Amino acid sequence: MRIKSKSKKSVLYGLTLLLSAGMVLSACGKNADNGGNTAASNSNTETSTEKPVELIWYTIGTPQKDVDKVMAEVNKYTSEKIGVTVKMNMLDWGDYDQKMKVMTASGEPMDIMFSASWAFDYVQNSRKGAFASLDELLQKEGKGITEVLDPAFLQGSKVDGHNYGIPANKELPAQEVWRFNKNLLDKYKLDIKGVGSLESLEPLLKTIKANEPTVTPFALDKNYVPYVPYDYIIQGLPMGVKLDSTDLKVVNVLETPEMKQALQTMRKYYKAGYVSAEAATTTSVSDLQTAGKWFLDRAATQPFADNAWSSSYGYPVVSTPASDSIIYNWSVMGSLQTISANSEHPDKAMAFLNLLNTDPYLRNLVDSGIEGVHYKKTADNRMENLADSKNYDMPTFSLGNIMLTYLNPSDPDNKWESFKEFNSAGKKAPTLGFNFDSSKVATELAAVQNVKEEFMSALYTGTVEPDEYLPKAVEKLNAAGFGKIIEEAQRQLDEWKAAQ
Amino acid sequence: MLKTFFKDLIKNKAMLLMVLPGTIWFFFFSYLPMAGTVIAFKQYRYSRDGFLASILESKWVGLQNFKFLFSTSDAYIITRNTVLYNVVFIVLGLFFSVAMAVILSEIVNKRLSKLYQTGMFMPYFLSWVIVGYFVFSFLSTDRGVLNHILTSLGKDPVSWYSESTAWPYMLVLISLWKSIGYNSVVYLAAIMGIDKSLYEAAMIDGANKWQQIRSITVPMLTPLMTILTLLAIGRIFYADFGLFYQVPRDSGALYSVTNVIDTYVYRGLKTTGEIGMSTAAGLYQSFVGFVLIIASNAIVRKFNKDNALL
Repeated sequence: MRIKSKSKKSVLYGLTLLLSAGMVLSACGKNADNGGNTAASNSNTETSTEKPVELIWYTIGTPQKDVDKVMAEVNKYTSEKIGVTVKMNMLDWGDYDQKMKVMTASGEPMDIMFSASWAFDYVQNSRKGAFASLDELLQKEGKGITEVLDPAFLQGSKVDGHNYGIPANKELPAQEVWRFNKNLLDKYKLDIKGVGSLESLEPLLKTIKANEPTVTPFALDKNYVPYVPYDYIIQGLPMGVKLDSTDLKVVNVLETPEMKQALQTMRKYYKAGYVSAEAATTTSVSDLQTAGKWFLDRAATQPFADNAWSSSYGYPVVSTPASDSIIYNWSVMGSLQTISANSEHPDKAMAFLNLLNTDPYLRNLVDSGIEGVHYKKTADNRMENLADSKNYDMPTFSLGNIMLTYLNPSDPDNKWESFKEFNSAGKKAPTLGFNFDSSKVATELAAVQNVKEEFMSALYTGTVEPDEYLPKAVEKLNAAGFGKIIEEAQRQLDEWKAAQ
Repeated sequence: MLKTFFKDLIKNKAMLLMVLPGTIWFFFFSYLPMAGTVIAFKQYRYSRDGFLASILESKWVGLQNFKFLFSTSDAYIITRNTVLYNVVFIVLGLFFSVAMAVILSEIVNKRLSKLYQTGMFMPYFLSWVIVGYFVFSFLSTDRGVLNHILTSLGKDPVSWYSESTAWPYMLVLISLWKSIGYNSVVYLAAIMGIDKSLYEAAMIDGANKWQQIRSITVPMLTPLMTILTLLAIGRIFYADFGLFYQVPRDSGALYSVTNVIDTYVYRGLKTTGEIGMSTAAGLYQSFVGFVLIIASNAIVRKFNKDNALL
């Protein structure tokens, strides 16, 4: 017995010693490594005839089979032009946010990464130090970007006065529309001319409910929020400034007359059966759309969106505005390419982003694949997908300037002019350019998020009675510290306004 | 010292080699991350020099990160739900697992016994997401089996996902359904290991089946039951995330009975992604678990030294 326990102990000692030694060594090794690389990269940029540097690029979207094949083609072009090759890694829509958070936190080597207001949060991660500041890099290597981009993009995506990302040149404002399944509109000869407000939908919904028992009249899922004219400070939290306000007063949106009325209307629709009984727990209504078993829903639009929706669903979809066209912070930050703070070649990364946003050949190669393999050109700025395009089907908006991309057969000639018109027609939201710093109220935010998840889906979809649950939700939000968050937001907003 | 160390190493090499894979696993997934608990006391910010530098350079914030766990009335609800559900799972799980193991061991037809065993074992391999949809097909308000039965009996359909009263029972039922098969196999293996001559002797003395089970099987299983229960107590502050998140379809109306520490932390931090705060939650859970396991082990040792873990 004695010998046994002694041996156990000595083995333990040995192991501990070994492990701690290993840790110390690996830590040293890593530091030394970093130092060496930085030195090497500096000398690299001075003498550009050296071997091209490889940039690691993380972007969002379902991983495509032919990424490496296309990147090989990209590298041929970029290594000659700017001495750069890229390694693109795609992470699927649902994984991107989580995986990027973990990889950034653990210091994974990365150069270029996609960021947005809705995935791998741009503002928060800028503040946490995930991205390199681009102010100087833009001056040095990004001249082309500043020329082609609507200045509102770079202005609106500043965080605490600095640019950390290159916004994709695309639609700038956000506008909500009511979308209709045109087959059903035609069948019952319904007119959408007078439709605008939530209340104005009622007669149409009633007709469909009475005649089409298998159709969900108003398709919505648990993420649905009734439209009210407020500029939200944090996406998803009912805290905002009224769109037409001049005094920038932050309010609890749940307590505004507009939201109260919207909730009553949604409750009425829910009780009438216009909304699915499971709406508050449904995560997606795409199955209804695939089957054509819906009548109307609400969506964010862009020029010629009806065409795109119709062709993706395979039946005609029409829409009519549900809100004004407004430039919000979050719409400006809908898609950005950032440079990682730990990138060893930030200037090279910027040079690549500059080329991506200004060079039609490179932009279309990255977007549509190899000419003759994935698509064929039909005119100077037009293309048609070939069968192999299914192996390289990329989300256009996430890869930089979309206005360089070739038009599809169904696109009108004036597509990009219309985008420019759409962008210049957008009204600026009152808090455009202001970014809330949530670090002082992180504790309250975590508690408030829980209350939000508890009540909001049920209230917004009309699943519960607002007369009973709205006061409950407000009370619980306040108990969780919502008042303190609003106060902090007001304080920061006042400061920001004074500095303007 | 070094000489004896190597001598021991060589002497026990077969044993050491056998525990090596487990040791490596524990080292990488349990011991190495332990150093990271320091993040719980920091406001974690990224540094360009990598992970270790980020930890070192982040500023100390004391117990700030723990505050969100205790700041609201939800703190009571999530703690109560987590602990009570786990207590029920431990007690009922133990009872049914042992009962099932005994029943399975008493089935004479070995082929049938294997069949039942496999049938009970299967749910253990299903992911909670799938179980969630499975349950949904029963409970859906407009298309669920349960509501179809209710309406055909002339009763009003129930909107199950916004009606919290039945959920504590359903969650217990679903959890047991999923875990009993697996746990009873562990006990079944122990029963198989009991010396058959004990039963023969009992039969000669005229003991009936029930007396045999009570006086031989259960006492022989007690050490295993104690160890498994002690280990379960150590995890009493950890809830099964999938069970409490996927199965109720994250329905807000059910939070009063489905919100547990793990789901609370997930919901609170999934948007802000404050690593310091989630580390704090994990540290709090394992600290309470550690205290509980030491305490219950001390109690067990008082009664029966051989059954205790340490």
